[in-house]
Amino acid sequence: MKRSKSVRLVAMGTGLLLVAACEEAKVDTALFESVKQCTTLGFSAQECEANYREAQANHVNVAPKYSKREDCEVDFGAEKCEVAPQRTASGGSVFMPLMAGYLMGSMLSGGRRGAGQPLYKSANDRSTFRTGDNKAVAKSTGRTQVARSTTQTASAKTRTVSRGGFGAGARSPMRRSFGG
Amino acid sequence: MERITVEPRDDWRDTAEAHGFRFHTIDNEVYWDESACYRFTLREIEDDLEDPSAEIEQMCFQVVERALADDAVMARLGIPETFWDFVADSWSQQHRNLYGRMDFAYDGKGPAKLFEYNADTPTSLYESGVFQWVWLEQAIERGLIPEDSDQFNSLHEALTGTFGRMGISGMLHLACCKESEEDEGTVEYLADCARQGGVETRLIYIEDIGIDTRGGFTDLQDEPITHLFKLYPWEWIMTDEFGKNVPTSNTRFIEPGWKSILSNKGLLPLLWEMFEGHPNLLPAFFDGDAGAASLGGDYVRKPLFSREGANVEIFQDGERTISIAGDYGTEGHIIQALHPLPDFAGNFPMIGSWLVASQPCGIGIREDTSLVTGNNARFVPHIISD
Repeated sequence: MKRSKSVRLVAMGTGLLLVAACEEAKVDTALFESVKQCTTLGFSAQECEANYREAQANHVNVAPKYSKREDCEVDFGAEKCEVAPQRTASGGSVFMPLMAGYLMGSMLSGGRRGAGQPLYKSANDRSTFRTGDNKAVAKSTGRTQVARSTTQTASAKTRTVSRGGFGAGARSPMRRSFGG
Repeated sequence: MERITVEPRDDWRDTAEAHGFRFHTIDNEVYWDESACYRFTLREIEDDLEDPSAEIEQMCFQVVERALADDAVMARLGIPETFWDFVADSWSQQHRNLYGRMDFAYDGKGPAKLFEYNADTPTSLYESGVFQWVWLEQAIERGLIPEDSDQFNSLHEALTGTFGRMGISGMLHLACCKESEEDEGTVEYLADCARQGGVETRLIYIEDIGIDTRGGFTDLQDEPITHLFKLYPWEWIMTDEFGKNVPTSNTRFIEPGWKSILSNKGLLPLLWEMFEGHPNLLPAFFDGDAGAASLGGDYVRKPLFSREGANVEIFQDGERTISIAGDYGTEGHIIQALHPLPDFAGNFPMIGSWLVASQPCGIGIREDTSLVTGNNARFVPHIISD
């Protein structure tokens, strides 16, 4: 036979490729604001402390960074920012929001996924916990289900300084495809 | 090889929509056309299309070697000098290629003749690999074509299998231009294949790609683009504003930079020079070269970078008989011996022979009512039945 045995598409036409977050699988986890909330729910103090420490360590890396405390407080609220251990290129202070909570993942879902994901609350929406890259996670603490992507530690962010430098070749009215 | 009339499935439009095939009709003209199909024998497929495609691919690799060893060839191909090292590195470091489509004129009687090789940004992929396959299965089931029909089409299996072997760690971004439903369909399809191959994907428009403080490419989430499939020709990348950042960006491109040597019409005179007389090649020369006169008055003149037939001119007895509008050509031209596409009742089929990871794995036929296959061409399915 000279043809494929089957032709299976998993995502095309479902919209999954463009708006992945809408249809995403949920995972079981728990969300805490403190180690105490964690132990109250029946986890061992050792587990809870380990997770909290992990979240704190991740927090330093993934929290949004600002060179002015005012800018941070505009996004996260008055008194809701702290000094980050990092320094700016010229040696100035760096500010980041306080960790408002954290996701515990590893004990509930088996693997290491999402262990100690730090969470934040923005100034204009104090009821929602969000990841460092601003994905809404949940509104309450305790055992919960969250979208899988929100349990993954935020990927390395960079700072885009310019866009639109590709595509000049496509500014021709004559083509229906730019491939061919 | 013959063209046979087939009864279209009465529900094909709904089937197309259900399969995510949105561009079956473009500008109110039918693009997917199942009122006919081409029938091949297995021997025709294997001896006349599959084997020659594999052989030409190997010949193309020799052209790459030759171009990289000779600056004059790189200059002739219109590749900017600032990219020569980048292209050479992509080859010496064996950056893997995903796919390409060789376009052949073939009538079942003589050898297939290579018209050109879209080695960089070929489209009509989804309709070849998926919808053509679905048509075959349903047409057999409904008794519209012989029960023993097969199809030269393992494209989908080849794509899903290849993505997993390309060494992509982390996220693969797939980019196309805004405002082309056809191109979006192609990258969505490839993203689907990549996911089935275990690769995480994210789509982005080529116009939305950003640059960070270190000159690396970024997506709309400000995350670095480490692996980029771009349905956007290399020659445009090289002349775009961000092009200068490409060699130092640390982004791995698919197709790799060395494909810029092959997706160029200059490939055709280079192949002829190195393999003159090969049965699957047509005589071809860079415009203005001494050998060009040997073609007499019957030839085709093509810009180095033209796509979908734009700016192609056909000369017969020294007179220009067909000229297609377009905005290519300032980069230089090649001329190729005139070998008209075969005429099947007023239809002129061009056979696109697909290669995935350099292995032939299927064909897709586009039919036009003109000798130049342009963007009004219709996609017509095929069967293998002896």
